[in-house]
Amino acid sequence: MKMKKISVYTLLLATVLASSCQKDKLDPRPASDMPDYMVFETKERIASQYNGLYTVLKHGRFLGGKFQIANEVRGEDYLNERANNVTLQATWKRIVGNEVQEVKEIWSQGYLAINNANLFIDGMAAKGNSVVGDSLGKIYVAEAKFVRAISYFSLLQLFARPYWDGNGSKPGLILYTEGHKDKGNYSKARSTTAETYAQILKDLDEAEAALPKVNAGSTAAVTHANYYTVVALKMRVYLHMGQYDKVVAEGAKLVSAAAPFTSPGGHALVPEIAKVFQLPYTTSESIFSLPFTSTVGDYPGTQTQLGYYFTPKAPPLQGNGEYSLLPTGIISDKGWKDGDARRKLLTAVGSKYYMTKYAVPSPFTDWAPIIRYAEVLLNLAEAKARLNTGVDAGALELLNAVRHRSDPTVTFTAATLTTQQALIDAILNEKHIELLGEGFRSMEVTRTGATFAARATYVAVPPTSSAYIWPISSDELVYNKLCVDNQ
Amino acid sequence: MRKLLLVVASMLLLALSVMAQQQRTISGRVTDETGGVLAGVTISYPGGKTGTVTNAQGDFTLTVPAATKQLRLSIVGYETKLVPITGDHLGAVTLALDSKSISEVVVVGYGTQRRQEVTGNISSIKGGAVAQLPIQSFEAGIGGRATGVQITVPNGVVNNPPVFRIRGVNSLSLSAYPLIIIDGVPTFTGDVGSTNAPLNPLASVNPSDIASIEIAKDAAATAIYGSRAANGVVFITTKKGKAGKARFSYDGWVGWTKPIRLPKLLNAQQYLEIKNEGIKNRNPSATNLYVPNTDANGNMVDMNWYDVVYRQNAMSQSHSFNASGASDATSYYFSGGYTKQEGILKRNDFIRKNLLFNLDQKLGKILQVGTKLSYSNENSLISGSSGSLEGEAFNSGGLARLAFLTAPITPAYNNDGTYNVVDANIGGGKNTLTTGIYNPQVLLDLDHSNTESNHVQATAYAQLKPFEWLTLKTVYGIDYMFLNNDVYRNNINGDGWSTKGSSISTYTQLKRWVWTNTAQLEKSFGSHNFNLLGGVEQQRDTRERYGLERQFQSDNIFNTTQGGWLIDLSSGLQRRENYLLSAFTRLNYNYKEKYFLSGNLRQDQYSALAPGHKKGTFYGFSGGWEVAKEKFWSDGALGEVFSNFKVRASYGKVGNMAGLGDFDFMYLYRPLLYGGNTAMYFNQSGNNQLGWEESKKTDVGINFGILKDRINFEVAYYYNNIDGLILYLSHPPSSGLPSTVPANVGSMFNKGIEASVNATVLDIKGFSWNTNFNFSYNKNQITALADGLTELPFTTSSLEQTSINKVGYPVGMIYCVPAGGVDPATGMRILYNPQGEAEIYNPITGAYTYLDGKPAQTLGTKTAQPYANTNPKFLGGWDNTFRYKGFELNVLLTYQAGFSVYYGSNAGLRDQRYWNNSTDVLRRWQKPGDVTDIPRLINGDNVSNGSAYAISANVFKGDFIKLRNVGLSYNLPSDVVKLAHLSGVRVYAQAQNLAIWTKYPGPDPEVSSNGNNASGQGIDRNTLANGRTVTVGLNVNF
Repeated sequence: MKMKKISVYTLLLATVLASSCQKDKLDPRPASDMPDYMVFETKERIASQYNGLYTVLKHGRFLGGKFQIANEVRGEDYLNERANNVTLQATWKRIVGNEVQEVKEIWSQGYLAINNANLFIDGMAAKGNSVVGDSLGKIYVAEAKFVRAISYFSLLQLFARPYWDGNGSKPGLILYTEGHKDKGNYSKARSTTAETYAQILKDLDEAEAALPKVNAGSTAAVTHANYYTVVALKMRVYLHMGQYDKVVAEGAKLVSAAAPFTSPGGHALVPEIAKVFQLPYTTSESIFSLPFTSTVGDYPGTQTQLGYYFTPKAPPLQGNGEYSLLPTGIISDKGWKDGDARRKLLTAVGSKYYMTKYAVPSPFTDWAPIIRYAEVLLNLAEAKARLNTGVDAGALELLNAVRHRSDPTVTFTAATLTTQQALIDAILNEKHIELLGEGFRSMEVTRTGATFAARATYVAVPPTSSAYIWPISSDELVYNKLCVDNQ
Repeated sequence: MRKLLLVVASMLLLALSVMAQQQRTISGRVTDETGGVLAGVTISYPGGKTGTVTNAQGDFTLTVPAATKQLRLSIVGYETKLVPITGDHLGAVTLALDSKSISEVVVVGYGTQRRQEVTGNISSIKGGAVAQLPIQSFEAGIGGRATGVQITVPNGVVNNPPVFRIRGVNSLSLSAYPLIIIDGVPTFTGDVGSTNAPLNPLASVNPSDIASIEIAKDAAATAIYGSRAANGVVFITTKKGKAGKARFSYDGWVGWTKPIRLPKLLNAQQYLEIKNEGIKNRNPSATNLYVPNTDANGNMVDMNWYDVVYRQNAMSQSHSFNASGASDATSYYFSGGYTKQEGILKRNDFIRKNLLFNLDQKLGKILQVGTKLSYSNENSLISGSSGSLEGEAFNSGGLARLAFLTAPITPAYNNDGTYNVVDANIGGGKNTLTTGIYNPQVLLDLDHSNTESNHVQATAYAQLKPFEWLTLKTVYGIDYMFLNNDVYRNNINGDGWSTKGSSISTYTQLKRWVWTNTAQLEKSFGSHNFNLLGGVEQQRDTRERYGLERQFQSDNIFNTTQGGWLIDLSSGLQRRENYLLSAFTRLNYNYKEKYFLSGNLRQDQYSALAPGHKKGTFYGFSGGWEVAKEKFWSDGALGEVFSNFKVRASYGKVGNMAGLGDFDFMYLYRPLLYGGNTAMYFNQSGNNQLGWEESKKTDVGINFGILKDRINFEVAYYYNNIDGLILYLSHPPSSGLPSTVPANVGSMFNKGIEASVNATVLDIKGFSWNTNFNFSYNKNQITALADGLTELPFTTSSLEQTSINKVGYPVGMIYCVPAGGVDPATGMRILYNPQGEAEIYNPITGAYTYLDGKPAQTLGTKTAQPYANTNPKFLGGWDNTFRYKGFELNVLLTYQAGFSVYYGSNAGLRDQRYWNNSTDVLRRWQKPGDVTDIPRLINGDNVSNGSAYAISANVFKGDFIKLRNVGLSYNLPSDVVKLAHLSGVRVYAQAQNLAIWTKYPGPDPEVSSNGNNASGQGIDRNTLANGRTVTVGLNVNF
């Protein structure tokens, strides 16, 4: 009897102990990230993803820093101070191999932005549109297409021969419009430059049709794409393709017929240019900028920040002074007078000058200006000038508007600029001065077929050189055997 | 004459036979080495059938035939001894602890087994082997003591977890570290410190508290741990109270360590000569050259930066005491210890205070309860980066590199006594050219990077034996680590300069609980003996971490996060969890203790695998045959030669998931901000097919002894076939996948032979010599990676590609550009292109040409090849113990052979920028016709020395023999000891790393800049050297 009792109790105990497992713990939920099956479930989560499209774009390795820095230091304006390969020394030296850090980073981050946008578009079609409704869904998807388009456009300027070379027949980028989540064989050949531009314009046209016209001067207007943002980017794209008539056509949507030049949304040149680069960064001149704050994760990563590179070390500025301005660069331009307001955006330290548009110290929360009204006016001016064999009056007006904003004492006239070419050169020069430090120089050189001027013991790079554009990231070549390198 | 002989002979015969029938009674007392009496010792005589046992006072009396010459004394845990009968009263006979030969009881998973019944492959090491060594954790002391075990202490940073491999590398992407079970609870392993001071969880166990270490290697021995067994399983058992009167003992040692084999560097005069030559060779009209500085007394500054960075006499000490005892119902073991160990790097210390309490209590006839409580408080202290931990190799502040990089012409202090700094870097005095990176003196004086750990390891169990054949046991164990990190980087010089100082405090909590319920049935039917075990187990880990980072200090006085700072940032946020649910069973069967069969089965479900793939079933079965017990053997000629002979074989399937991230299989979106608004983007690609790594292990072994077990051999052959290796696949960046994707795609094998010999070489007149020699041979090869992928490169600290995993080669091949010597005609480095042709590199033009000057292809990591193997082919140890009266001398040699090491620091020692160099560069090429291995010095040349990309000129064979341990001890005679009312006193002296015989030019061929990471093994990049330690100690038993 006692045995039986012991046996029964023992068996009971054993069963209780054996069955008290916690099966639900086999399906864990991470505390810091959201699993993919949840992200299209609510309006708030979709809105979060919609902002996230731009978060990937504004990463310091892409349009939050390194893209602009690469475009700047490839040109002839800067002197490398630190000899550090992590801070784009190879790019500055114009000796860039497939394994150079910035080559790999910019290529990779650009495609992360593209894939993130693709996944968003796919997810909206599958589920998201029904959650947020069609009208909002259309706007979200249109902005995703803008993000995709500007990513492809930016990568194209560094990694592909310009459009004028063979009319876009040279290798462009690898094009994807569907999102990728799983492992697989992603070997794909490059499409041509023309095909890439076609995809970019398709995205921009579709976005233009769906986006609202948001008035200038608000954070939402500047940090998210709207109708005006897309039109401004289209102008830039057509300019790079050499289709100047289309530039003018788009320009009509954005620029009034006569000075003072404004857009229907209220965009205009602000009287003091310094205000464009100061808080709150939302003047009516800004069309599209990428915002930063000092919260962890919301400012650019280490050694990618625009201020870190261009602002000198001397207090109170406290950047890292990676690049100073060469006395032989644009700052020596005789036509750019000392009284010009834009000269105040340069800072002298000893005998050297630094480009200090991005003056906020660590963590370097200056917004990155991507598109502003001054560029729009100059793009329109150039297009008009190129279409007119003489000296185009409209182009002169636009050019003067930009110059007078900073220096009312200099006026360009048909008497001083006697030929079409002189006018075009003056406009290009103005763009160089106006947009110094904003990531345009290299794009401007390659799109116009100019030569990268020699400077600081480094030789000139003509359009025929293999160093005119960047080689393809070695990571891509290793894993994608169908991708051809640039020669 | 013949008649006389006959009478004498017959009288002798008579006398002999009478004598033969005579008996004598021998008495004596048996004690152990500390003087404590030993009860329960079996006394017998060779050839005899009778025997006796010592009583509680250690006394025995045995009647033996008068002709008997020797008595045989044996007891579990001590070396069996043959004592000559010198008289009727033998007095005190001492038995030595059985530290090397086969012990009788072995810890297997969830229980113990008698050694002779074990059919799996398990090596045992007695706790005494690691007890008094000047190490921070026990693994550093087991190298060379068991076959198939490779221990590499990666450098001289204290508390750095050694690389631990059992039978080669068994995983690529996941951890290849074995599963460590301490008193039944799987414990955390690896460096959990997350500061520049490593923290090894295994250092929480005071080595003197360890009773035994069992290393299980094949499937039969490890499959009971199924999904975690692929790298082997190590069982650590802490001491329990022994029957007899209460014992109390104290052990203390004090030691000194100095760094050894540091490369010889240029002094200030030589530095000026060499560096200026390099500048002039590049530009003969250069005017900006290096100039000497003068100190306050007008002498030329000639800094020896080794003196600044290294301690020449690092002192360490340890004190521990324990009290233990046991009666019929209770047994207890209580110990406490304190140790402070200084490393060879200044400011690098390890301090541990620990308490351990083991208690077993019988309640009534069928119930037994017990607990183990262990608490350890450890402090791992360091000033900042040593450059020696995984990921640190290229840290600007890496002190090991700064010691050989900083120019000797620049001092640590200016002549006015202030620190020699210019902004974030070290100043050059009169030099405008760079002379170094950071000032090591400032970093050592002001920075700190400390980890404090409070580690609680505890178990509680209840065991019920309702019937004699049934044992039910429930065990609940916890392993909790509470870590506090305190980091400060000063605002004067170094990494903290750009943020005007920074301080980080992080709190981490690692908590694990394990609940195991087992039922064991033991029954014999005639000569058939069965032992069946069944059990269920749950294990849960949670990990939480958060921290605060502050920047821009308001005053130099503040050096913690609580001071005055301008900027507050959150940092180190992490939260993880995983859960393992298992059921297992094991059956052991033997017939007449001659034929053995064993099988075990385990099913695991693990939360970190994809849905539908969380379950895994693992098994192992084995058999053994005690051939020597067979009649035909013991009666035949073979029985004359072999006193024991056992054959065994095993096969099974086990798994590995160590180091797999808890959420790696999921597709995740990361929340971040966009200009202050909430945002979220796709951040992790997962794999909804992710399953276990699987390893099928085969093992065949023979154990035999000759000369009546005086010499014992163990030989084993094994083959581990690993399939479904989890690899983190990379994709072309154009795919846009934000992370690598884990997938089960690779396969690899390890096969080898292990052999060990254990012998009592001499045992005469009180002098004995025991020796153990072990030898392991392992061959490792990767047989497949992912589809279409034949190689996986590995970059040391994300900056230098040094290694590659390639199909058809072993893990972690050194990947570099083959290099030759120096072209005598031009002084340029010879390098070989993939076609095997020799090219030379011109550092001034940056061009590669053939030896005749014609242009050739550019070389670099794109043209590198798998060059040398980093897995030791042969390894083992030779352990010798000599005893004479109270003296004991122990000598341990360890060896590894058949592998190479990439001596990356060598590239730095020949760097042609401002870096200081080793004196090797004095033999540089200077004029045509010079034959040397150092190329012409050209300032800025980063290729010829191997800095721009790895070259084979820095690859060296790492084969070595180390005199790892020499220990001399003396037990004071018991009559002297008794005068002080003690039961034993022992004094000892030890030396570690006394000598290395190797061709490797670096400080130590046992090195790892990449920690435990198998793909990057065998790389020596800017790591700290190792030290030689001498200790003296005292052990007192009351």
